[in-house]
Amino acid sequence: MDDTDTERRSDGGVTVQEQPFGLPRWVVAIVPLVLLAAVLAYLFFGSPFAALATGGSALPDVTVSYTTLPNEETVLVHVTNNGPRTVTVEQVLVDEAYWSFQMSGGDRTLEPLESSTISIPYHWEPGWDLNVAMVLSDGAVIHHTIVAPAMSPGVTGEIIGTLAVVGLFVGVIPVVLGMLWLPYLRSVSDRALHAVLVFAVGVLAFLGFDALVDVEEFMESVPGGYEGPFLFALGVAGSVLVIQGISAWQESRTEGETSRLRTAYLVAVSIGLHNLAEGLAIGTAFALGRVELGAFLVVGFLVHNVTEGPAIVGPLARGRRPGIEHFAALGLIGGAPVIVGAWIGSYAFSPTLGVFFLAIGLGAILQVVWEMADLVRGDDSLASIGTPVNAGAFLFGAVFMYVTGLFIAL
Amino acid sequence: MSPSLDYERAREYTEALEGRLVDALDGDAGVSRRAVLGSLGLAGSAALMGTGGADDGHDGGGEEHGNFGARGEFDEGELDPHEFLRTFNTGFDGQDNLTQDVFEEDGERIRYFEMTATDTTIEVAPGVEFSAWAYQGQVPGPTLRVTEGDRIRVKFTNGSRHAHTIHPHLKNLNPKMDGIPQNGPGVLEQGESFTYEWKAQPAGVHFYHCHSLPLKAHIHRGLYGSIIVDPDPERVREKPEEYCDFHESQVTPELTEELVARAKSRNHEYDENDEVQELVMIMNGFDTNFDGGNEVYAANTRAFAYGVGETDGKGNWKPGETKRPIQIDGQKPVRVYLVNAIEFDLINSFHTHSQFFDYYDHGTTLLPTHQTVDTIMQCQAQRGIIELDYSDHEPGLYMFHAHQSEFAELGWMSFFEVV
Repeated sequence: MDDTDTERRSDGGVTVQEQPFGLPRWVVAIVPLVLLAAVLAYLFFGSPFAALATGGSALPDVTVSYTTLPNEETVLVHVTNNGPRTVTVEQVLVDEAYWSFQMSGGDRTLEPLESSTISIPYHWEPGWDLNVAMVLSDGAVIHHTIVAPAMSPGVTGEIIGTLAVVGLFVGVIPVVLGMLWLPYLRSVSDRALHAVLVFAVGVLAFLGFDALVDVEEFMESVPGGYEGPFLFALGVAGSVLVIQGISAWQESRTEGETSRLRTAYLVAVSIGLHNLAEGLAIGTAFALGRVELGAFLVVGFLVHNVTEGPAIVGPLARGRRPGIEHFAALGLIGGAPVIVGAWIGSYAFSPTLGVFFLAIGLGAILQVVWEMADLVRGDDSLASIGTPVNAGAFLFGAVFMYVTGLFIAL
Repeated sequence: MSPSLDYERAREYTEALEGRLVDALDGDAGVSRRAVLGSLGLAGSAALMGTGGADDGHDGGGEEHGNFGARGEFDEGELDPHEFLRTFNTGFDGQDNLTQDVFEEDGERIRYFEMTATDTTIEVAPGVEFSAWAYQGQVPGPTLRVTEGDRIRVKFTNGSRHAHTIHPHLKNLNPKMDGIPQNGPGVLEQGESFTYEWKAQPAGVHFYHCHSLPLKAHIHRGLYGSIIVDPDPERVREKPEEYCDFHESQVTPELTEELVARAKSRNHEYDENDEVQELVMIMNGFDTNFDGGNEVYAANTRAFAYGVGETDGKGNWKPGETKRPIQIDGQKPVRVYLVNAIEFDLINSFHTHSQFFDYYDHGTTLLPTHQTVDTIMQCQAQRGIIELDYSDHEPGLYMFHAHQSEFAELGWMSFFEVV
């Protein structure tokens, strides 16, 4: 909206004085704040709502974020207090028997939003479901079933190294391989290139949907106090806005030529964020002993992720070819986060973090889909995105991801 | 009257009654040791019950699999299961906070008690609290003990927010005194009183409980206790066939003498009774999270109260402050008055380790109904007498518990320490 527009739609109200009521503007600005403080003080020190005190209190709400089984004799339960009041874990039941336990943090009480690890010496049986329950001081019971328990590998130097190698194969190598299609892409017709770009959009759309599904799964274990759904919304909106902001700022500084490179970087960042979440899932599944990180799974991921390469370099298929350092950077940005994610996931996983990363990734994907659409349009302002070829390409991208995804169910 | 006013009045009334109860108690203001014990428990010894506690840095054989049992100790206050075991209220004497008396009236002996129902909070496992409805502020309620043929007179006052009654499992000939909502005074609302009167018959170990609706809630929340009716040796001499499975025509003089001797051993008014170590155990459970199943099982309310304090899992153990085995003199016979008050579960049971016993179902006979068994089961309100003899056992710990393993691991697990 520009100024003329504003004037035309003004309601003819009073013009703003420089000094309202003859006071400096900053004074006027803080008056509401001062009054707010006064109201709060009254609420805090007076007790105007005494009549409403019925002695009611919020229900205790403790979430089991995850469990780890470092050895056959130990069960570690990671809990968070979501409720607004302090709770005390007085007893622990394992399969309906009171059992010995110790809690990290020096006491058995959990302040609101405090987390703790309960360590239970229990000789569990691999594959036999185990029910643990925390009995709070008021008799409330928080149940958690560990389905098909399996040893958590724990974190050693060797594991860190292995996960890095896995990340290399799952993330960096497929992205770089995919990027090698660039010379070919530079030689094809606009129509074919658009199809490739739209194919990449299909891939991204699938990844976005995949992120949604994962979020739903994680959301169950996000402690209520962290307001998972709002965190997710913030992550998505935040990343869309930040990336859009960066993109607009760059555009204002540069000419159209580099906007292709910019788009390539944006795609790399969004795919990188997605791959961070993917690494998180791999690392977590591995840490929870839920998955055998075998060659088959790695191959599945490799084929699955190879499509991410052309998605990144697609925008560079026209115009001047950027220097090799850009390609190295694009490959790293797109692929390397898998490694980081796998480390985080195996070492310090939290569903809350998982949801947040996935949300950021999803936001990035949304923003990038928009940019790519602009790119396809931008080549020929009259071109419609929705050609039959493009529609087919989009669908093919999604189908390709679906089919390869079947091989890598974590 | 608005509900909130009603509740306010209820609260005040309850507090007043509770205050009276507390005043009547020996001023034993138990110091809360939970903080100390809690930190001890974390400092290493997982302060276990059951079969042991792991010491810090101790990873020896017995401990590596952890141990079942509740962490920590109980707070002082409320009912002490160890005291409750041997507390009998006869009208002559009993617990200090129960008004009781014995007197003659119209040629009959009256055993007089004054009981109050209150809403209170009890500790059912270390640190785990349960909102109970209780006779005389304790769960189980006071154990009443009388002799066959006496009249039991109970002045009952309801100080609880809910309406209650007392229903006795006795052969009661007056329907008005049955303590049910449909008869006599019906349920007693808050602040109301009624004096129940029952004939003490038949001899045996019996049960009293609240019969208000919903029945499940009123029983499981803690409104129950036992009435022990001791056989009168004089009456046994006259009608021996009523105390055994034999027909009148089969009873020999020798059997009569035997039955009389057994009646004297059972009757608290005879010296022969002093030779027996008598214990009351009321098997109960608590649904702490209202899901229709018990989270805590016990004999006399507190999970693992008769367990060991801690052990190294190698035979060395220590009694805890509030969790310790029941010490018994191995040279004297042991008699357990066992009552099943469990709600939500079909049956409960009692099993002794390394030991067989004689069992008298309902305690209404003087000859055992089950001889030489080590496990008996009871449905809700069923009860009986168990007679144990440890005279030929070596001193030491002998476990006893419900032989529903689930119940045992949820608290109904105990020891005798034979000395």
